[in-house]
Amino acid sequence: MTKFGIEFVPREPYWKIIYYAIQAERGGFSNLWVTDHFNNRNVYVTLTATAVYTDKITFGPGVTNPYMVNPVFTAQAIATLNELTPGRVVLGMGAGDKTTLEGVGVEVEKPLTAVQEAVDIFRKMTGGESVAYNGAVFSVTNAKFLFKPKGQIPVYVGAQGPKMLELAGKIGDGVLINACHPKDVEYAVNSVREGIRQGGKKPDDVDVAAYTSFSVHEDLKKATKAAVPVVAFIVAGSPGMLLERHGIDLKKAEEIRAALKANDWSRAFSGVSPEMIGAFSVCGTPEMCTDRIALLLKSGISQFVVGSPIGSNVREAINLITEKIIPQFKT
Amino acid sequence: MVTVKDKESTNVSNRKGRINMDYRKLSEMIPAEKWAVLSDKLIDLILTSKNDDRMPSQVANVILRQWQNESLKSETGLTALLQAAILLEPEKVVVSLNELQMTNVTEQVKELLKS
Repeated sequence: MTKFGIEFVPREPYWKIIYYAIQAERGGFSNLWVTDHFNNRNVYVTLTATAVYTDKITFGPGVTNPYMVNPVFTAQAIATLNELTPGRVVLGMGAGDKTTLEGVGVEVEKPLTAVQEAVDIFRKMTGGESVAYNGAVFSVTNAKFLFKPKGQIPVYVGAQGPKMLELAGKIGDGVLINACHPKDVEYAVNSVREGIRQGGKKPDDVDVAAYTSFSVHEDLKKATKAAVPVVAFIVAGSPGMLLERHGIDLKKAEEIRAALKANDWSRAFSGVSPEMIGAFSVCGTPEMCTDRIALLLKSGISQFVVGSPIGSNVREAINLITEKIIPQFKT
Repeated sequence: MVTVKDKESTNVSNRKGRINMDYRKLSEMIPAEKWAVLSDKLIDLILTSKNDDRMPSQVANVILRQWQNESLKSETGLTALLQAAILLEPEKVVVSLNELQMTNVTEQVKELLKS
């Protein structure tokens, strides 16, 4: 059965996120992801509150990075969470957002190696091993927890470029793909499958999740209005190759980038075209979103993650997904 | 020795205690058949409010516990929701109560806002 995940950004206060988390769990979502950026509220505090107020939903950081947070600390936090709610915790690990990290003076160097080493260290530490690790990015001389971590914790690797996607397929129990359009998902899944093959695993061994920018409303205009700001930022941050794949005029993308840089929101948002919305979000009425999700599933994903903005009214949007979308995929 | 800070802290907790009593009285005035519809409106006001910083964590925690136990539509749930909604969106609460034709409750809320 298709899994549905939901992403929350702890820029929102904890009580809103927990309210929605309880609602999502009751509505049939199986996974909950909380983003990790230094300029929002802390991911592990938010996840701890989630653990206390929910009963069955699987949750984890979506995603943390090894530059800002040392993988030994990540292992400690996740292992502790797994004591609180055994079997419900997963780790989402990626290379991090370059712009955000540079803002705190952290350089993103050797991202593939950093992620691979971080996952290695995480698995050894949460496996209760005494760790001596001499990697190209991380070095651990002698680390062991003074408590016994419980169980194996699945690791999802967040990936976008072809090499990271391959690595994710090779080392991950799951992969989080930042993509909304079937063309991009298909492209990504091919790279992931190559990694799965290299890792000597079967495709079903790896949960491949499309981490989407999502907006649903019965009124298409309202759904679109909510998606526009998020899509503007995605377009501004996308490489030319990706924009060209969707036939997006590079000049228009550059205009949006310049407007965002100048904090001219209205100019930036007015530059977002329907093509951009279609390429970089899953947006529309419940029926339209259902059709798009069905296409993405055909492209090879096993989990669909509903990400920001979710809708103009998040509570209503979760109800729509619960009542009109998820039931379409129950077989 | 009681310091100025201690006195301020005591005053704050007394105010919160008094406010809680006021909200309890308010929710007691609401007929049971309107609990569900009012609860729904108040939740929406709270979750869409831009005045997040006005939410006291004690009240937020009560709301979450009630939501977890599926009892936000009870009198206890309504008390917490009323308190939160009036702190975050006082004018919108008055509009919602008027829409539900709860004139006496509206008047009590207006009195509470004056005090």
